[in-house]
Amino acid sequence: MDQLDNDKKELVERFMYIAGEGEKVAIEYLNLCDWDVEASIDYFYDTPVLVDDALLEELYNRYKDPNIDMISVDGITLLCNDLEVDPQDIIMLVISWHMNASTMCEYSKMEFLQGLQELSVDTVEKFRDKISYIRSELNDENKFHDIYNFAFSWAKEKGQKSMALNTAIGMWRLLFAEKKCHLLDHWCQFLQTRHNKAISRDTWSQLLEFFNKVDTGLENYDAEGAWPYLIDEFVEYLNENGINHSKMVAH
Amino acid sequence: MSAQKKKAFQIEAFKHRVVVDPKYAEKTWKILEHAIHEIYNHNASGLSFEELYRNAYNMVLHKFGEKLYSGLVTTMTSHLKEISNSIEAAQGGLFLDELNRKWAEHNKALQMIRDILMYMDRTFIPNTHKTPVHELGLNLWRDVVIHFHAIQSRLQAILLENVRRERSGEVIDRGLMRSITKMLMDLGPSVYQDDFEKHFLEVSADFYRLESQEFIESCDCGEYLKKAERRLNEEIERVSHYLDTRSEVKITNVVETEMIESHMHRLVQMENSGLINMIVDEKFEDLGRMYCLFRQVSNGLVLIRDVMTSFIRDTGKQLITDPERLKDPVDFVQHLLDLKDKYDKIITSAFRNDKTFQNALNSSFEYFINLNSRSPEFISLFVDDKLRKGLRGVTEEDVELVLDKVMMLFRYLQEKDVFEKYYKQHLAKRLLSGKSVSDDAERSLIVKLKTECGYQFTSKLEGMFTDMKTSQDTMQGFHASHGSDIGDGPMLSVQVLTTGSWPTQPITTCNLPAEILGICEKFRNYYLGTHTGRRLSWQTNMGTADLKATFGKGQKHELNVSTYQMCVLMLFNDADRLSYKEIEQVTEIPTSDLKRCLQSLACVKGKNVLRKEPMSKDIADTDTFLFNDKYTSKFFKVKIGTVAAQRESEPENQETRQRVEEDRKPQIEAAIVRIMKARRVLDHNNIVAEVTKQLQSRFLPNPVVIKKRIESLIEREFLERDKGDRKLYRYLA
Repeated sequence: MDQLDNDKKELVERFMYIAGEGEKVAIEYLNLCDWDVEASIDYFYDTPVLVDDALLEELYNRYKDPNIDMISVDGITLLCNDLEVDPQDIIMLVISWHMNASTMCEYSKMEFLQGLQELSVDTVEKFRDKISYIRSELNDENKFHDIYNFAFSWAKEKGQKSMALNTAIGMWRLLFAEKKCHLLDHWCQFLQTRHNKAISRDTWSQLLEFFNKVDTGLENYDAEGAWPYLIDEFVEYLNENGINHSKMVAH
Repeated sequence: MSAQKKKAFQIEAFKHRVVVDPKYAEKTWKILEHAIHEIYNHNASGLSFEELYRNAYNMVLHKFGEKLYSGLVTTMTSHLKEISNSIEAAQGGLFLDELNRKWAEHNKALQMIRDILMYMDRTFIPNTHKTPVHELGLNLWRDVVIHFHAIQSRLQAILLENVRRERSGEVIDRGLMRSITKMLMDLGPSVYQDDFEKHFLEVSADFYRLESQEFIESCDCGEYLKKAERRLNEEIERVSHYLDTRSEVKITNVVETEMIESHMHRLVQMENSGLINMIVDEKFEDLGRMYCLFRQVSNGLVLIRDVMTSFIRDTGKQLITDPERLKDPVDFVQHLLDLKDKYDKIITSAFRNDKTFQNALNSSFEYFINLNSRSPEFISLFVDDKLRKGLRGVTEEDVELVLDKVMMLFRYLQEKDVFEKYYKQHLAKRLLSGKSVSDDAERSLIVKLKTECGYQFTSKLEGMFTDMKTSQDTMQGFHASHGSDIGDGPMLSVQVLTTGSWPTQPITTCNLPAEILGICEKFRNYYLGTHTGRRLSWQTNMGTADLKATFGKGQKHELNVSTYQMCVLMLFNDADRLSYKEIEQVTEIPTSDLKRCLQSLACVKGKNVLRKEPMSKDIADTDTFLFNDKYTSKFFKVKIGTVAAQRESEPENQETRQRVEEDRKPQIEAAIVRIMKARRVLDHNNIVAEVTKQLQSRFLPNPVVIKKRIESLIEREFLERDKGDRKLYRYLA
C-alpha cells in the first residue's frame, strides 16, 4: 500500500471498511474496477468470495494434531505464529467466536472450517490480511456484546456451569483493556476480597450491561433494577469505601 | 224616516242606578279604622264582628280594596310605633316582659283584624299580589318594633346577658326567653338567626374560649373533661328549653371547638393526667368521656389512637428487649397476654369497641412481637408449659380460652415457620415423656393451627400423634406374643417414630446395658417381622427408664431417669467407683451429653444418687464417681431425668435459625417456579411481591434471598432473563 498515493490509500481504506476485507483484496477489486470505490464494492458483493475447499483442507491439515482429528494447543500456537499474533492476544477470542469454538485451546475440524468460511479466507496470507479488520470488530457494539457473551462459554472449564474466578478476572481484563472501564479494577478487587467463588453466566452477562448502562458515579444505579445480587453487593462495597465520590464533587 | 230599523229587543235586568256615595268609602273606612283602634286599645268587646266584616266586604266589593289595605297599613304602623315607644320606655328587667306582653297582644289583635278583613285577604290581596294580613302584621311588627334601632340592640344585649347569667349559675326566666325566641322565629328564620343566633354563637365562642383557657390552666385532664362534658350538656339543655332546635348542633359545635379541639393536644399530653396516665391507671370512665368528646371534633379520635399506638409500641418494645424479662419465656409471654387483655378491656369499656382502635392495637402488637426474633420460640415454650402443667385441673372452656389467646399471639408472628419448628420439638418431648396434661387440649390446638394455616402446617404434627397411637397398638401386640417370656426381666415400652414426622435428631452412640439388650432385640425382631423393609434405630437420647435402687441402709427408691443415665447407673451394679474416662469408654455416650447426664446424677441436691470426687460443680475428665450409699429422699419415687423443654442457648438458637433459613430456600424457589409457570413472563418487582404474598402465612421472605434464588434458578435453566428488558424473566418450560 505504501506505493500508492494518498487518494488511493484512502479509497483502499474505505473499501476495507465497507467490505470487511483485507488490504490485498481491496487493492485487487479496486484495480478491477478502475479505482471506482462504489463500483468495486458492488462488484465485490455481487461476486461472493468463494473459498477453495481444497485449500481449506490443506490449511486444516497444517494445524491438525497428529493423534486426534482436531486442532489442539500446538496447532493453535503454530497458527498464531503464522498470523504473527500473540496467542494471548484478544484477537484469538474473536477468531474463536467466528468459529463458534466450544472451548479454549482447541478447535474441532468443523469449527475451523466453518470459521474460515465465514471469514472468507483459505490461505494464511488472506488470513493475515484480514487481521486488522477482525480486530476492528471489537469496536462494533453489537459484535462486542456477542463476543463478550461468547467468551463465557469459551473460557470456562468444559462441563462446568460457572467460570472460575481467576479465569473470569483474566478475561475481563483482556476484554475491557481498550474500553476505559473505571470500575473494572474495583470490581476485580471486590470479587477477590468478598466473593471468592465462581462466576455464573447471569452475573457475567449482566456485568456488561452494568458497565454500559450505569455511570461511574453510580447516579443512575437503580436498586430495584433486578441486577444480580453480586452487583448489588458491589455497589454497596463501592459506597462503603467511598469510591463513587463523583457525587461529592463540589457544588 | 225608515221603518225598517228593527232593533232586537234585549231583556236586561233592571239596573239600579247605584249612586255611590263618594263619601261612602271614606265613611266605611273610618268605621273600620275606629275598630282597629278599639282593638288595639283592648276595647274589642264592644264591636260587632258581623258589621265590621260587612263593611270590609263592601269596600272591597266596591273596588275600594286599595284604600282599605293602605289604610290598614298606616293604622297598624302608627299603633306599632306607639307600642315601640312604650316598650322602649320599659326599664331594665321589665323590657323583655313588656315586649313579650305587647307581642302577645299584637298577635291577638292581628287575629281579630284578619278575621274582619278576611274577604280582602281572600280576594283583593291575591289578585294584587299584596302581602296577606297576618304576614303583613308580622312584617310590620318586625320592621317597626323589633328593628326599631333602640329596641333591636337592647333586645339582643338583654338576651345575651341572660344567657351569660345563666351560664354563671344564676336562674333566669326561661319561659320568657322561650317566648321571645319563639317570637323571633315566627318573624322569620333569618330574623332569629341575624338578630339573635349569630351573636349568640359569637359570644358563646368568646365565653368558652376564655373559660377553657382558665380550666386548662387549673384542672387536670380528667377534671377538665368533666367540666367540658357538663357545659356541653348544659347547652343542649338550654336549647331544648328556650332556643330553636336547629341551634343545638351549632352551639355544641362551638363548645366542642373551643373546649376540646383547641386544647386537644395539650389535654392528651398532659403530664400526670393525660391519656397515657389514664391508660396506665385504667381510668375507664375518664377514657370513655375523652372518647365521646373527642369523637365530635375532627381528628380527635385520630389523636387518641396515635398516642395510644405509639405508647403501646414503646411499651411492647421495652418488654421485648428487656433482658430480665426474657430470662423466663413463660412469664414473658404471660406478660404479653396481660398487656393485650388490658388494652382489650380499655377498648371495650371505654372506646366502644371501635374497630379502628382494635386494628391499631393489633398492628402495634404485630410490630413489636416481631422485633424479637425469639418470640416464636417463647410462645411455643409458653404453650409447652401450659400443656405440661399449667392447664391441669382447668375446665374445658377455660382451656379453650387459653388456647385461643395463644392462637391470637400466633397470628401476630411473621415467622410462623420458626414457631412450627419449635412447636414440633416441644411437642415431641411432651408426647414421648407422656407429660401432656390433656390429650384433648393438644389436639384442640392442632385443629386451631390447621384452621389458621392449612393442612400443610399440621400434617407432620398429626403424624406424631398417630405414631404414639400406633406404638400403643404395637406394644399390645408385643406383650401379647412375648408377655410370658419376660417374667422377672425388665419391662420394655417402645414408641416407634416415623422419621419424617418427628424433629430430626442426630443418631448418637450409646451402649445399652446388657440387662436390657435381650428384650430390645426381641422387640426389634418382633417389629421387623411384621414390618419388612423398614429400618429401626434406637434414639437413646430421648428415652427414659425406671430403676429400682437399693441404698446403703436398705432404703429403696424408684428412680425415673433418662436412657443415658440408666446406662451410667447400671454400671455401678458391678463397681462401686468408676472414673469419668471409664464411664465414657463403656457407654460411648457423646461427651457433652455425658457430662450433662453425670451432672444431674451427682451435683443436684436431693437427686445425688452418685457422689463425685472432687465435689466441684462441673464435670471434669479427671473426676471419679461413686455410688452414693447415703442417699436419702422423702419420696419413694425420685425423678432425675431432664426432659423438659428449655429455652435454647445462644449457639443452639443460631443453629435452629440456620436450619430455618435453609428450609426456606426451597419454599421460596417452589413459590417462584409456581408463579412463573402460571405467568410465563414477569418482572422482578412483581415476582418479589407475589412470592411475599404467597409465603406470608409462613414467614416474611427477604427480597435479597428471593433474588439469589432467582439467580440460582436462572443458572439451573428454569428461568431466563428477557433479551430486551433485563428486568423481565421468562419461564423456560
